[in-house]
Amino acid sequence: MTVLNRSTRRTGRDRRGPSASGTRMWTWFMLPGTLWMTTFLLASLALVAVLAVGTTDELGNPRFGFDLSSIRAMADPAYGEVLLRSLGYALATCLICLLVAYPVAYTIALHGGRFKHALIAAVVVPFFANYLVRMYGWSVVLSDDGPVLAALRGMGLADGGTKILNTGFGVIAGLVYGFVVFMIIPLYAALERLDVSLIEAGRDLYGGPVRTFLFVTLPATRQGAAAGLVLVFLPCMGDFVSAQLMGGPDQIMIGNLIQDKFFQGQNWPLGSALTMLLMLALLTGMLGYLRRTRKDEAEARR
Amino acid sequence: MTSTRVTPAPAEPAERPGRSPAPRRRGRAERRPRILIAVTALFFALLYLPIGVVALYSFNAKKSLTVFGGFSLRWYRAFLHDDVLISSLGTSLKISLAAMAGSVLLGVALAIGLVRSRSRLGSLAGLIMLVPLITPEIVTGVASMLLFKGLGVTLSTGTVMLAEITFSVSYVTVILRSRVAALNPEVEEAAMDLGATRWQAVRLVTLPALLPAVLASAVLIFALVFDDFVLAYFTTGVDPQPLPVRIYSAIRFGVRPTVNAVGTLMLAGSVALIALALFIPRLFGRKGGLDILSGS
Repeated sequence: MTVLNRSTRRTGRDRRGPSASGTRMWTWFMLPGTLWMTTFLLASLALVAVLAVGTTDELGNPRFGFDLSSIRAMADPAYGEVLLRSLGYALATCLICLLVAYPVAYTIALHGGRFKHALIAAVVVPFFANYLVRMYGWSVVLSDDGPVLAALRGMGLADGGTKILNTGFGVIAGLVYGFVVFMIIPLYAALERLDVSLIEAGRDLYGGPVRTFLFVTLPATRQGAAAGLVLVFLPCMGDFVSAQLMGGPDQIMIGNLIQDKFFQGQNWPLGSALTMLLMLALLTGMLGYLRRTRKDEAEARR
Repeated sequence: MTSTRVTPAPAEPAERPGRSPAPRRRGRAERRPRILIAVTALFFALLYLPIGVVALYSFNAKKSLTVFGGFSLRWYRAFLHDDVLISSLGTSLKISLAAMAGSVLLGVALAIGLVRSRSRLGSLAGLIMLVPLITPEIVTGVASMLLFKGLGVTLSTGTVMLAEITFSVSYVTVILRSRVAALNPEVEEAAMDLGATRWQAVRLVTLPALLPAVLASAVLIFALVFDDFVLAYFTTGVDPQPLPVRIYSAIRFGVRPTVNAVGTLMLAGSVALIALALFIPRLFGRKGGLDILSGS
Protein backbone atom coordinates (compact mmCIF):
# COMPACT_ATOMS: atom_id res chain seq x y z
CA MET A 1 0.00 0.00 0.00
CA THR A 2 2.87 2.36 0.71
CA VAL A 3 4.00 1.83 -2.85
CA LEU A 4 0.65 3.00 -4.11
CA ASN A 5 0.70 6.07 -1.90
CA ARG A 6 4.11 7.10 -3.07
CA SER A 7 3.29 6.68 -6.73
CA THR A 8 0.13 8.71 -6.22
CA ARG A 9 2.01 11.62 -4.79
CA ARG A 10 4.55 11.51 -7.55
CA THR A 11 2.00 11.54 -10.34
CA GLY A 12 0.22 14.34 -8.56
CA ARG A 13 3.33 16.48 -8.67
CA ASP A 14 4.26 15.44 -12.19
CA ARG A 15 1.18 16.93 -13.73
CA ARG A 16 1.47 20.67 -13.59
CA GLY A 17 -0.74 23.21 -15.23
CA PRO A 18 -4.40 24.02 -14.89
CA SER A 19 -5.54 20.38 -14.48
CA ALA A 20 -3.13 19.54 -11.65
CA SER A 21 -5.74 20.10 -8.95
CA GLY A 22 -8.17 17.99 -10.96
CA THR A 23 -5.69 15.16 -11.22
CA ARG A 24 -5.24 15.21 -7.50
CA MET A 25 -8.96 15.04 -6.95
CA TRP A 26 -9.39 12.13 -9.37
CA THR A 27 -6.65 10.34 -7.45
CA TRP A 28 -8.64 10.84 -4.25
CA PHE A 29 -11.65 9.41 -6.05
CA MET A 30 -9.75 6.27 -6.97
CA LEU A 31 -7.90 5.85 -3.72
CA PRO A 32 -10.54 4.27 -1.41
CA GLY A 33 -11.60 1.66 -3.96
CA THR A 34 -8.05 0.85 -4.95
CA LEU A 35 -6.86 0.58 -1.36
CA TRP A 36 -9.83 -1.61 -0.53
CA MET A 37 -9.14 -3.94 -3.44
CA THR A 38 -5.44 -4.03 -2.64
CA THR A 39 -6.08 -5.03 0.96
CA PHE A 40 -8.90 -7.45 0.51
CA LEU A 41 -8.00 -8.90 -2.85
CA LEU A 42 -4.33 -8.63 -3.72
CA ALA A 43 -3.12 -9.11 -0.15
CA SER A 44 -5.39 -12.08 0.34
CA LEU A 45 -4.30 -13.67 -2.93
CA ALA A 46 -0.69 -13.19 -1.87
CA LEU A 47 -1.57 -14.88 1.40
CA VAL A 48 -2.70 -17.97 -0.51
CA ALA A 49 0.70 -18.13 -2.18
CA VAL A 50 2.45 -17.70 1.17
CA LEU A 51 0.42 -20.38 2.88
CA ALA A 52 1.06 -22.79 0.01
CA VAL A 53 4.62 -23.02 1.32
CA GLY A 54 3.48 -23.13 4.95
CA THR A 55 3.03 -26.09 7.28
CA THR A 56 0.58 -27.28 9.86
CA ASP A 57 1.33 -27.82 13.54
CA GLU A 58 0.35 -30.91 15.55
CA LEU A 59 -3.20 -29.63 16.00
CA GLY A 60 -3.63 -29.07 12.29
CA ASN A 61 -3.47 -25.27 12.52
CA PRO A 62 -1.73 -23.59 9.60
CA ARG A 63 1.72 -22.18 10.29
CA PHE A 64 3.62 -19.82 8.06
CA GLY A 65 7.07 -20.90 7.09
CA PHE A 66 8.96 -22.20 4.15
CA ASP A 67 8.18 -25.80 3.46
CA LEU A 68 7.81 -27.24 0.01
CA SER A 69 5.97 -30.41 1.02
CA SER A 70 2.58 -29.09 -0.16
CA ILE A 71 4.08 -27.98 -3.45
CA ARG A 72 5.82 -31.31 -3.83
CA ALA A 73 2.53 -33.08 -3.10
CA MET A 74 1.21 -31.56 -6.33
CA ALA A 75 3.37 -34.06 -8.18
CA ASP A 76 1.09 -36.81 -6.90
CA PRO A 77 -0.51 -38.33 -10.00
CA ALA A 78 -3.89 -38.31 -8.23
CA TYR A 79 -3.90 -34.49 -8.33
CA GLY A 80 -2.68 -34.44 -11.89
CA GLU A 81 -5.55 -36.70 -12.82
CA VAL A 82 -8.10 -34.40 -11.15
CA LEU A 83 -6.58 -31.33 -12.83
CA LEU A 84 -6.67 -33.02 -16.23
CA ARG A 85 -10.25 -34.11 -15.65
CA SER A 86 -11.22 -30.56 -14.67
CA LEU A 87 -9.55 -29.22 -17.81
CA GLY A 88 -11.32 -31.84 -19.91
CA TYR A 89 -14.72 -31.06 -18.39
CA ALA A 90 -14.16 -27.31 -18.74
CA LEU A 91 -13.06 -27.58 -22.37
CA ALA A 92 -15.93 -29.92 -23.23
CA THR A 93 -18.30 -27.45 -21.55
CA CYS A 94 -16.82 -24.59 -23.59
CA LEU A 95 -17.29 -26.52 -26.82
CA ILE A 96 -20.87 -27.56 -26.05
CA CYS A 97 -21.72 -24.02 -24.91
CA LEU A 98 -20.38 -22.68 -28.20
CA LEU A 99 -22.37 -25.22 -30.23
CA VAL A 100 -25.55 -24.51 -28.25
CA ALA A 101 -25.15 -20.75 -27.89
CA TYR A 102 -24.26 -19.97 -31.48
CA PRO A 103 -27.55 -21.03 -33.10
CA VAL A 104 -29.54 -19.53 -30.22
CA ALA A 105 -27.73 -16.17 -30.35
CA TYR A 106 -27.92 -16.22 -34.16
CA THR A 107 -31.64 -16.90 -34.18
CA ILE A 108 -32.36 -14.20 -31.62
CA ALA A 109 -30.09 -11.58 -33.20
CA LEU A 110 -31.01 -12.13 -36.84
CA HIS A 111 -34.52 -13.54 -36.70
CA GLY A 112 -35.75 -12.22 -33.35
CA GLY A 113 -37.38 -9.18 -34.95
CA ARG A 114 -39.11 -7.00 -32.43
CA PHE A 115 -38.95 -9.76 -29.78
CA LYS A 116 -35.15 -9.60 -29.81
CA HIS A 117 -34.79 -7.74 -26.53
CA ALA A 118 -37.45 -9.78 -24.79
CA LEU A 119 -35.82 -13.03 -25.92
CA ILE A 120 -32.34 -12.07 -24.78
CA ALA A 121 -33.81 -10.93 -21.45
CA ALA A 122 -35.46 -14.36 -21.22
CA VAL A 123 -32.01 -15.92 -21.62
CA VAL A 124 -30.50 -13.75 -18.90
CA VAL A 125 -33.26 -13.94 -16.28
CA PRO A 126 -32.76 -17.60 -15.22
CA PHE A 127 -29.11 -16.78 -14.67
CA PHE A 128 -30.23 -14.57 -11.80
CA ALA A 129 -32.10 -17.40 -10.15
CA ASN A 130 -30.03 -18.84 -7.33
CA TYR A 131 -27.25 -20.97 -8.78
CA LEU A 132 -27.81 -23.81 -6.30
CA VAL A 133 -31.55 -23.90 -6.85
CA ARG A 134 -31.05 -23.95 -10.62
CA MET A 135 -28.50 -26.75 -10.39
CA TYR A 136 -30.70 -28.71 -8.06
CA GLY A 137 -33.66 -28.33 -10.44
CA TRP A 138 -31.45 -29.40 -13.33
CA SER A 139 -30.38 -32.49 -11.39
CA VAL A 140 -34.06 -33.38 -10.88
CA VAL A 141 -34.70 -32.91 -14.62
CA LEU A 142 -31.75 -35.12 -15.53
CA SER A 143 -32.44 -37.74 -12.87
CA ASP A 144 -33.17 -41.36 -13.77
CA ASP A 145 -36.92 -40.83 -13.81
CA GLY A 146 -36.78 -37.24 -14.94
CA PRO A 147 -38.30 -35.83 -18.13
CA VAL A 148 -35.10 -35.74 -20.22
CA LEU A 149 -34.33 -39.44 -19.88
CA ALA A 150 -38.00 -40.26 -20.32
CA ALA A 151 -38.03 -38.33 -23.61
CA LEU A 152 -34.82 -39.98 -24.76
CA ARG A 153 -36.27 -43.40 -23.92
CA GLY A 154 -39.43 -42.53 -25.80
CA MET A 155 -37.35 -41.73 -28.88
CA GLY A 156 -35.45 -44.97 -28.44
CA LEU A 157 -32.20 -43.11 -27.80
CA ALA A 158 -31.80 -44.50 -24.30
CA ASP A 159 -32.67 -47.72 -22.52
CA GLY A 160 -33.61 -48.43 -18.92
CA GLY A 161 -30.00 -48.52 -17.80
CA THR A 162 -28.94 -45.19 -19.27
CA LYS A 163 -27.90 -42.66 -16.66
CA ILE A 164 -26.92 -39.02 -16.84
CA LEU A 165 -26.40 -38.28 -13.18
CA ASN A 166 -23.27 -39.68 -11.56
CA THR A 167 -21.44 -39.65 -14.87
CA GLY A 168 -18.94 -37.23 -16.37
CA PHE A 169 -21.58 -36.25 -18.86
CA GLY A 170 -23.85 -35.21 -16.01
CA VAL A 171 -21.17 -32.92 -14.59
CA ILE A 172 -20.61 -31.35 -18.01
CA ALA A 173 -24.38 -30.93 -18.44
CA GLY A 174 -24.45 -29.13 -15.09
CA LEU A 175 -21.61 -26.81 -16.08
CA VAL A 176 -23.24 -26.06 -19.44
CA TYR A 177 -26.52 -25.22 -17.75
CA GLY A 178 -24.74 -23.06 -15.20
CA PHE A 179 -22.65 -20.95 -17.53
CA VAL A 180 -24.07 -21.06 -21.08
CA VAL A 181 -25.38 -17.51 -20.57
CA PHE A 182 -21.80 -16.22 -20.57
CA MET A 183 -21.43 -17.57 -24.10
CA ILE A 184 -24.74 -16.29 -25.44
CA ILE A 185 -24.31 -12.66 -24.36
CA PRO A 186 -21.01 -11.91 -26.17
CA LEU A 187 -22.08 -13.91 -29.25
CA TYR A 188 -25.38 -12.06 -29.34
CA ALA A 189 -23.57 -8.73 -29.01
CA ALA A 190 -21.27 -9.65 -31.91
CA LEU A 191 -24.10 -10.94 -34.11
CA GLU A 192 -26.26 -7.94 -33.39
CA ARG A 193 -23.47 -5.63 -34.47
CA LEU A 194 -23.04 -7.63 -37.66
CA ASP A 195 -24.23 -5.72 -40.68
CA VAL A 196 -26.94 -7.82 -42.36
CA SER A 197 -26.04 -6.32 -45.72
CA LEU A 198 -22.70 -8.13 -45.47
CA ILE A 199 -24.54 -11.44 -45.49
CA GLU A 200 -26.63 -10.23 -48.41
CA ALA A 201 -23.49 -9.15 -50.23
CA GLY A 202 -22.05 -12.61 -49.68
CA ARG A 203 -25.21 -14.10 -51.15
CA ASP A 204 -25.22 -11.65 -54.04
CA LEU A 205 -21.72 -12.73 -54.88
CA TYR A 206 -23.08 -16.27 -55.28
CA GLY A 207 -21.88 -17.55 -51.92
CA GLY A 208 -24.17 -20.35 -50.79
CA PRO A 209 -25.63 -20.13 -47.29
CA VAL A 210 -22.85 -22.35 -45.95
CA ARG A 211 -20.03 -20.45 -47.61
CA THR A 212 -21.54 -17.09 -46.64
CA PHE A 213 -21.76 -18.28 -43.05
CA LEU A 214 -18.20 -19.61 -43.03
CA PHE A 215 -16.57 -16.62 -44.68
CA VAL A 216 -18.74 -13.70 -43.55
CA THR A 217 -20.70 -14.43 -40.38
CA LEU A 218 -18.25 -16.67 -38.54
CA PRO A 219 -15.13 -14.48 -38.86
CA ALA A 220 -17.12 -11.42 -37.81
CA THR A 221 -18.16 -13.10 -34.57
CA ARG A 222 -14.85 -14.70 -33.70
CA GLN A 223 -14.01 -12.18 -30.99
CA GLY A 224 -17.40 -12.66 -29.40
CA ALA A 225 -16.86 -16.41 -29.39
CA ALA A 226 -13.38 -16.03 -27.90
CA ALA A 227 -14.72 -13.81 -25.12
CA GLY A 228 -17.49 -16.32 -24.47
CA LEU A 229 -15.02 -19.19 -24.28
CA VAL A 230 -12.99 -17.39 -21.61
CA LEU A 231 -16.10 -16.36 -19.69
CA VAL A 232 -17.30 -19.98 -19.60
CA PHE A 233 -13.91 -21.57 -19.02
CA LEU A 234 -13.01 -19.52 -15.92
CA PRO A 235 -16.03 -20.34 -13.72
CA CYS A 236 -16.06 -23.96 -14.95
CA MET A 237 -12.55 -24.56 -13.68
CA GLY A 238 -13.44 -23.26 -10.24
CA ASP A 239 -16.82 -24.93 -9.91
CA PHE A 240 -17.44 -27.60 -7.31
CA VAL A 241 -21.23 -27.66 -7.10
CA SER A 242 -21.87 -29.36 -10.44
CA ALA A 243 -19.49 -32.23 -9.68
CA GLN A 244 -21.15 -32.62 -6.28
CA LEU A 245 -24.74 -32.64 -7.49
CA MET A 246 -24.34 -34.29 -10.90
CA GLY A 247 -21.30 -36.48 -10.46
CA GLY A 248 -20.12 -39.25 -8.23
CA PRO A 249 -16.84 -39.86 -6.43
CA ASP A 250 -15.10 -40.56 -9.74
CA GLN A 251 -16.05 -37.18 -11.21
CA ILE A 252 -14.53 -34.79 -8.67
CA MET A 253 -12.93 -31.63 -10.01
CA ILE A 254 -10.16 -29.46 -8.62
CA GLY A 255 -12.73 -27.20 -6.94
CA ASN A 256 -13.95 -30.19 -4.93
CA LEU A 257 -10.40 -30.96 -3.80
CA ILE A 258 -9.87 -27.37 -2.67
CA GLN A 259 -13.18 -27.33 -0.83
CA ASP A 260 -12.33 -30.64 0.81
CA LYS A 261 -8.90 -29.49 1.99
CA PHE A 262 -10.36 -26.35 3.59
CA PHE A 263 -13.51 -27.79 5.12
CA GLN A 264 -13.20 -31.50 5.73
CA GLY A 265 -9.49 -32.25 5.47
CA GLN A 266 -8.39 -29.10 7.33
CA ASN A 267 -5.10 -29.14 5.45
CA TRP A 268 -4.87 -25.48 4.51
CA PRO A 269 -1.34 -25.46 3.06
CA LEU A 270 -2.35 -28.25 0.71
CA GLY A 271 -5.58 -26.44 -0.14
CA SER A 272 -3.61 -23.27 -0.84
CA ALA A 273 -1.18 -25.17 -3.05
CA LEU A 274 -4.12 -26.62 -4.99
CA THR A 275 -5.59 -23.12 -5.35
CA MET A 276 -2.28 -21.93 -6.76
CA LEU A 277 -2.29 -24.88 -9.16
CA LEU A 278 -5.75 -23.85 -10.34
CA MET A 279 -4.64 -20.23 -10.79
CA LEU A 280 -1.60 -21.41 -12.74
CA ALA A 281 -3.76 -23.45 -15.10
CA LEU A 282 -6.07 -20.48 -15.60
CA LEU A 283 -3.26 -17.98 -16.14
CA THR A 284 -1.78 -20.25 -18.79
CA GLY A 285 -5.13 -20.35 -20.53
CA MET A 286 -5.61 -16.58 -20.22
CA LEU A 287 -2.15 -15.86 -21.64
CA GLY A 288 -2.95 -18.09 -24.60
CA TYR A 289 -6.18 -16.16 -25.12
CA LEU A 290 -4.46 -12.77 -24.85
CA ARG A 291 -1.77 -13.78 -27.34
CA ARG A 292 -4.44 -15.03 -29.70
CA THR A 293 -6.47 -11.80 -29.51
CA ARG A 294 -3.34 -9.67 -29.90
CA LYS A 295 -2.46 -11.63 -33.04
CA ASP A 296 -5.99 -11.09 -34.30
CA GLU A 297 -5.76 -7.37 -33.64
CA ALA A 298 -2.42 -7.15 -35.39
CA GLU A 299 -3.86 -9.05 -38.33
CA ALA A 300 -6.89 -6.78 -38.45
CA ARG A 301 -4.69 -3.71 -38.46
CA ARG A 302 -2.73 -4.89 -41.48
CA MET B 1 -8.13 -17.68 -41.31
CA THR B 2 -7.25 -15.60 -44.34
CA SER B 3 -10.84 -14.50 -44.43
CA THR B 4 -10.43 -12.12 -41.51
CA ARG B 5 -8.62 -9.72 -43.74
CA VAL B 6 -11.40 -9.73 -46.30
CA THR B 7 -14.08 -8.89 -43.77
CA PRO B 8 -14.38 -5.28 -42.70
CA ALA B 9 -14.16 -4.82 -38.96
CA PRO B 10 -17.68 -5.30 -37.62
CA ALA B 11 -17.09 -3.03 -34.67
CA GLU B 12 -17.64 0.19 -36.64
CA PRO B 13 -20.73 1.70 -35.04
CA ALA B 14 -21.22 3.84 -38.15
CA GLU B 15 -22.00 0.70 -40.12
CA ARG B 16 -24.92 -0.20 -37.91
CA PRO B 17 -27.99 -0.48 -40.04
CA GLY B 18 -30.24 0.87 -37.30
CA ARG B 19 -33.73 -0.51 -37.25
CA SER B 20 -34.61 0.13 -40.87
CA PRO B 21 -33.68 -2.74 -43.16
CA ALA B 22 -36.67 -4.98 -42.51
CA PRO B 23 -38.54 -4.31 -45.75
CA ARG B 24 -35.37 -4.68 -47.82
CA ARG B 25 -34.71 -8.13 -46.43
CA ARG B 26 -37.70 -9.90 -47.90
CA GLY B 27 -37.10 -12.74 -50.27
CA ARG B 28 -34.64 -15.55 -49.91
CA ALA B 29 -33.03 -14.19 -46.72
CA GLU B 30 -36.44 -14.11 -45.10
CA ARG B 31 -36.96 -17.86 -45.47
CA ARG B 32 -37.95 -19.22 -42.08
CA PRO B 33 -34.95 -21.01 -40.61
CA ARG B 34 -36.91 -23.92 -39.13
CA ILE B 35 -33.93 -25.78 -37.71
CA LEU B 36 -32.59 -22.69 -35.97
CA ILE B 37 -35.96 -21.93 -34.47
CA ALA B 38 -36.34 -25.54 -33.32
CA VAL B 39 -32.91 -25.49 -31.64
CA THR B 40 -33.72 -22.19 -29.94
CA ALA B 41 -37.08 -23.48 -28.75
CA LEU B 42 -35.45 -26.63 -27.34
CA PHE B 43 -32.84 -24.47 -25.63
CA PHE B 44 -35.48 -22.32 -23.96
CA ALA B 45 -37.42 -25.41 -22.90
CA LEU B 46 -34.37 -26.92 -21.23
CA LEU B 47 -33.40 -23.55 -19.75
CA TYR B 48 -36.73 -23.12 -18.01
CA LEU B 49 -37.56 -26.74 -17.23
CA PRO B 50 -35.42 -27.00 -14.05
CA ILE B 51 -36.81 -23.74 -12.69
CA GLY B 52 -40.31 -24.83 -13.60
CA VAL B 53 -39.82 -28.14 -11.81
CA VAL B 54 -38.66 -26.39 -8.64
CA ALA B 55 -41.56 -23.94 -8.79
CA LEU B 56 -44.11 -26.69 -9.48
CA TYR B 57 -42.99 -28.97 -6.67
CA SER B 58 -42.92 -26.06 -4.24
CA PHE B 59 -46.72 -26.23 -4.48
CA ASN B 60 -46.83 -30.01 -4.09
CA ALA B 61 -49.19 -31.31 -1.42
CA LYS B 62 -47.03 -34.41 -1.07
CA LYS B 63 -43.53 -34.68 0.24
CA SER B 64 -42.44 -36.44 -2.95
CA LEU B 65 -40.16 -34.72 -5.44
CA THR B 66 -41.29 -36.87 -8.34
CA VAL B 67 -45.04 -37.25 -7.90
CA PHE B 68 -47.29 -34.23 -7.89
CA GLY B 69 -50.05 -34.75 -5.36
CA GLY B 70 -52.15 -31.64 -5.74
CA PHE B 71 -51.76 -27.96 -5.00
CA SER B 72 -50.85 -26.81 -1.51
CA LEU B 73 -48.94 -24.04 0.22
CA ARG B 74 -47.65 -26.27 2.99
CA TRP B 75 -43.95 -25.81 2.09
CA TYR B 76 -44.31 -22.05 2.09
CA ARG B 77 -45.95 -22.32 5.49
CA ALA B 78 -43.15 -24.61 6.63
CA PHE B 79 -40.63 -22.00 5.48
CA LEU B 80 -42.38 -19.21 7.39
CA HIS B 81 -42.31 -21.31 10.56
CA ASP B 82 -38.68 -22.36 10.13
CA ASP B 83 -36.83 -19.99 12.48
CA VAL B 84 -33.42 -20.99 11.13
CA LEU B 85 -34.34 -20.23 7.52
CA ILE B 86 -36.06 -16.98 8.46
CA SER B 87 -33.01 -15.77 10.39
CA SER B 88 -30.86 -16.78 7.39
CA LEU B 89 -33.12 -14.71 5.18
CA GLY B 90 -32.57 -11.72 7.46
CA THR B 91 -28.81 -12.30 7.41
CA SER B 92 -28.79 -12.47 3.61
CA LEU B 93 -30.77 -9.25 3.35
CA LYS B 94 -28.36 -7.48 5.69
CA ILE B 95 -25.34 -8.73 3.73
CA SER B 96 -26.87 -7.65 0.42
CA LEU B 97 -27.69 -4.17 1.71
CA ALA B 98 -24.21 -3.68 3.17
CA ALA B 99 -22.53 -4.96 0.00
CA MET B 100 -24.75 -2.73 -2.10
CA ALA B 101 -23.99 0.42 -0.11
CA GLY B 102 -20.28 -0.26 0.21
CA SER B 103 -19.62 -1.32 -3.35
CA VAL B 104 -21.66 1.53 -4.86
CA LEU B 105 -19.78 4.14 -2.78
CA LEU B 106 -16.37 2.70 -3.67
CA GLY B 107 -17.25 1.72 -7.22
CA VAL B 108 -18.82 4.99 -8.37
CA ALA B 109 -15.88 7.03 -7.07
CA LEU B 110 -13.45 4.56 -8.62
CA ALA B 111 -15.23 4.66 -11.99
CA ILE B 112 -15.23 8.47 -12.12
CA GLY B 113 -11.58 8.59 -11.12
CA LEU B 114 -10.57 5.90 -13.62
CA VAL B 115 -12.18 7.68 -16.56
CA ARG B 116 -11.06 11.20 -15.70
CA SER B 117 -7.60 10.55 -14.35
CA ARG B 118 -4.69 9.99 -16.66
CA SER B 119 -2.16 9.19 -13.96
CA ARG B 120 -0.24 5.98 -13.63
CA LEU B 121 -2.25 5.07 -10.56
CA GLY B 122 -5.26 5.16 -12.87
CA SER B 123 -4.04 2.39 -15.12
CA LEU B 124 -2.86 0.36 -12.15
CA ALA B 125 -6.22 0.76 -10.41
CA GLY B 126 -7.94 -0.22 -13.65
CA LEU B 127 -5.98 -3.46 -13.69
CA ILE B 128 -6.56 -4.27 -10.00
CA MET B 129 -10.26 -3.67 -10.47
CA LEU B 130 -10.41 -6.36 -13.16
CA VAL B 131 -8.85 -9.10 -11.02
CA PRO B 132 -12.10 -10.35 -9.40
CA LEU B 133 -13.68 -10.66 -12.84
CA ILE B 134 -11.02 -13.08 -14.09
CA THR B 135 -10.60 -15.02 -10.85
CA PRO B 136 -12.93 -17.94 -10.16
CA GLU B 137 -15.02 -17.34 -7.08
CA ILE B 138 -13.54 -20.28 -5.25
CA VAL B 139 -10.13 -18.61 -5.39
CA THR B 140 -11.52 -15.31 -4.10
CA GLY B 141 -13.36 -17.27 -1.42
CA VAL B 142 -10.29 -19.18 -0.26
CA ALA B 143 -8.19 -16.00 -0.32
CA SER B 144 -10.70 -13.96 1.71
CA MET B 145 -11.09 -16.72 4.25
CA LEU B 146 -7.31 -17.00 4.69
CA LEU B 147 -7.03 -13.22 5.06
CA PHE B 148 -9.63 -13.07 7.82
CA LYS B 149 -8.21 -16.11 9.59
CA GLY B 150 -4.68 -14.74 9.18
CA LEU B 151 -5.73 -11.46 10.78
CA GLY B 152 -7.37 -13.39 13.60
CA VAL B 153 -10.86 -12.22 12.69
CA THR B 154 -13.63 -14.64 13.59
CA LEU B 155 -15.73 -15.45 10.53
CA SER B 156 -19.18 -13.90 10.84
CA THR B 157 -21.82 -12.01 8.91
CA GLY B 158 -19.43 -9.06 8.91
CA THR B 159 -16.70 -10.96 7.10
CA VAL B 160 -19.18 -12.04 4.42
CA MET B 161 -20.10 -8.37 3.97
CA LEU B 162 -16.46 -7.35 3.51
CA ALA B 163 -15.80 -10.14 1.01
CA GLU B 164 -18.96 -9.39 -0.96
CA ILE B 165 -18.10 -5.68 -1.17
CA THR B 166 -14.71 -6.55 -2.66
CA PHE B 167 -16.31 -8.80 -5.22
CA SER B 168 -19.03 -6.27 -6.12
CA VAL B 169 -16.87 -3.15 -6.52
CA SER B 170 -15.64 -4.51 -9.85
CA TYR B 171 -19.16 -4.91 -11.21
CA VAL B 172 -20.21 -1.40 -10.17
CA THR B 173 -17.03 0.03 -11.65
CA VAL B 174 -17.40 -1.81 -14.96
CA ILE B 175 -21.02 -0.70 -15.33
CA LEU B 176 -20.41 2.90 -14.29
CA ARG B 177 -17.16 3.31 -16.19
CA SER B 178 -18.78 3.21 -19.61
CA ARG B 179 -21.47 5.62 -18.41
CA VAL B 180 -18.89 8.10 -17.13
CA ALA B 181 -16.96 7.78 -20.38
CA ALA B 182 -20.14 8.59 -22.29
CA LEU B 183 -20.55 11.87 -20.39
CA ASN B 184 -19.12 14.94 -22.01
CA PRO B 185 -16.39 16.37 -19.70
CA GLU B 186 -17.06 19.78 -21.22
CA VAL B 187 -20.28 19.98 -19.25
CA GLU B 188 -18.28 19.75 -16.03
CA GLU B 189 -15.90 22.38 -17.37
CA ALA B 190 -18.81 24.63 -18.25
CA ALA B 191 -20.04 24.32 -14.66
CA MET B 192 -16.59 25.30 -13.46
CA ASP B 193 -16.49 28.28 -15.84
CA LEU B 194 -19.70 29.36 -14.18
CA GLY B 195 -18.00 29.37 -10.83
CA ALA B 196 -18.45 25.85 -9.48
CA THR B 197 -15.51 24.16 -7.83
CA ARG B 198 -14.42 20.85 -9.33
CA TRP B 199 -16.07 18.95 -6.49
CA GLN B 200 -19.30 20.93 -6.94
CA ALA B 201 -19.19 20.16 -10.66
CA VAL B 202 -18.97 16.42 -9.89
CA ARG B 203 -21.67 16.58 -7.23
CA LEU B 204 -24.13 18.78 -9.10
CA VAL B 205 -23.47 17.76 -12.72
CA THR B 206 -21.81 14.36 -13.01
CA LEU B 207 -23.48 12.44 -10.21
CA PRO B 208 -27.06 13.39 -11.19
CA ALA B 209 -26.30 12.32 -14.76
CA LEU B 210 -25.06 8.98 -13.46
CA LEU B 211 -27.99 8.42 -11.12
CA PRO B 212 -29.94 5.95 -13.31
CA ALA B 213 -26.88 3.76 -13.85
CA VAL B 214 -25.97 4.01 -10.16
CA LEU B 215 -29.44 2.89 -9.07
CA ALA B 216 -29.54 0.10 -11.64
CA SER B 217 -26.14 -1.23 -10.62
CA ALA B 218 -27.15 -1.02 -6.94
CA VAL B 219 -30.18 -3.20 -7.60
CA LEU B 220 -28.09 -5.59 -9.66
CA ILE B 221 -25.50 -5.93 -6.90
CA PHE B 222 -28.23 -6.55 -4.36
CA ALA B 223 -29.57 -9.42 -6.47
CA LEU B 224 -26.14 -10.89 -7.21
CA VAL B 225 -24.99 -10.78 -3.59
CA PHE B 226 -28.26 -12.12 -2.25
CA ASP B 227 -27.90 -15.18 -4.51
CA ASP B 228 -24.16 -15.57 -4.10
CA PHE B 229 -23.12 -18.86 -2.61
CA VAL B 230 -19.41 -19.57 -3.03
CA LEU B 231 -17.99 -16.44 -1.44
CA ALA B 232 -20.53 -16.57 1.39
CA TYR B 233 -19.75 -20.25 1.96
CA PHE B 234 -16.05 -19.58 2.48
CA THR B 235 -16.39 -16.47 4.63
CA THR B 236 -19.46 -17.10 6.80
CA GLY B 237 -19.42 -17.98 10.45
CA VAL B 238 -21.39 -20.82 11.97
CA ASP B 239 -24.47 -19.34 13.49
CA PRO B 240 -26.41 -16.92 11.31
CA GLN B 241 -25.59 -18.35 7.89
CA PRO B 242 -26.69 -16.66 4.66
CA LEU B 243 -29.63 -18.29 2.90
CA PRO B 244 -27.69 -19.80 -0.05
CA VAL B 245 -25.36 -21.56 2.39
CA ARG B 246 -28.38 -23.06 4.18
CA ILE B 247 -29.81 -24.15 0.86
CA TYR B 248 -26.51 -25.80 0.02
CA SER B 249 -26.50 -27.93 3.15
CA ALA B 250 -30.19 -28.75 2.65
CA ILE B 251 -29.53 -29.92 -0.92
CA ARG B 252 -26.45 -31.91 0.05
CA PHE B 253 -27.95 -33.69 3.01
CA GLY B 254 -31.27 -34.80 1.60
CA VAL B 255 -33.54 -32.23 0.04
CA ARG B 256 -36.42 -31.07 2.09
CA PRO B 257 -39.23 -29.74 -0.12
CA THR B 258 -38.97 -26.45 1.78
CA VAL B 259 -35.97 -25.74 -0.45
CA ASN B 260 -38.33 -25.68 -3.43
CA ALA B 261 -40.42 -23.02 -1.76
CA VAL B 262 -37.41 -20.93 -0.73
CA GLY B 263 -35.91 -21.31 -4.20
CA THR B 264 -39.13 -20.22 -5.86
CA LEU B 265 -39.39 -17.17 -3.61
CA MET B 266 -35.78 -16.26 -4.32
CA LEU B 267 -36.37 -16.65 -8.04
CA ALA B 268 -39.40 -14.38 -7.89
CA GLY B 269 -37.39 -11.84 -5.91
CA SER B 270 -34.48 -11.93 -8.37
CA VAL B 271 -36.75 -11.55 -11.39
CA ALA B 272 -38.44 -8.58 -9.74
CA LEU B 273 -35.07 -6.97 -8.98
CA ILE B 274 -33.75 -7.54 -12.52
CA ALA B 275 -36.93 -6.10 -13.97
CA LEU B 276 -36.43 -3.12 -11.68
CA ALA B 277 -32.80 -2.72 -12.78
CA LEU B 278 -33.88 -2.79 -16.43
CA PHE B 279 -36.74 -0.42 -15.77
CA ILE B 280 -34.80 2.26 -13.87
CA PRO B 281 -33.10 3.81 -16.94
CA ARG B 282 -36.51 4.04 -18.61
CA LEU B 283 -37.84 5.95 -15.62
CA PHE B 284 -35.25 8.56 -16.44
CA GLY B 285 -36.25 8.61 -20.06
CA ARG B 286 -33.51 6.45 -21.52
CA LYS B 287 -34.29 3.61 -23.83
CA GLY B 288 -33.26 0.01 -23.26
CA GLY B 289 -31.52 -0.89 -20.03
CA LEU B 290 -30.35 -4.29 -21.16
CA ASP B 291 -26.80 -3.22 -21.84
CA ILE B 292 -26.43 -2.85 -18.08
CA LEU B 293 -26.55 -6.63 -17.78
CA SER B 294 -23.75 -7.19 -20.24
CA GLY B 295 -21.84 -4.27 -18.80
CA SER B 296 -21.22 -2.58 -22.13
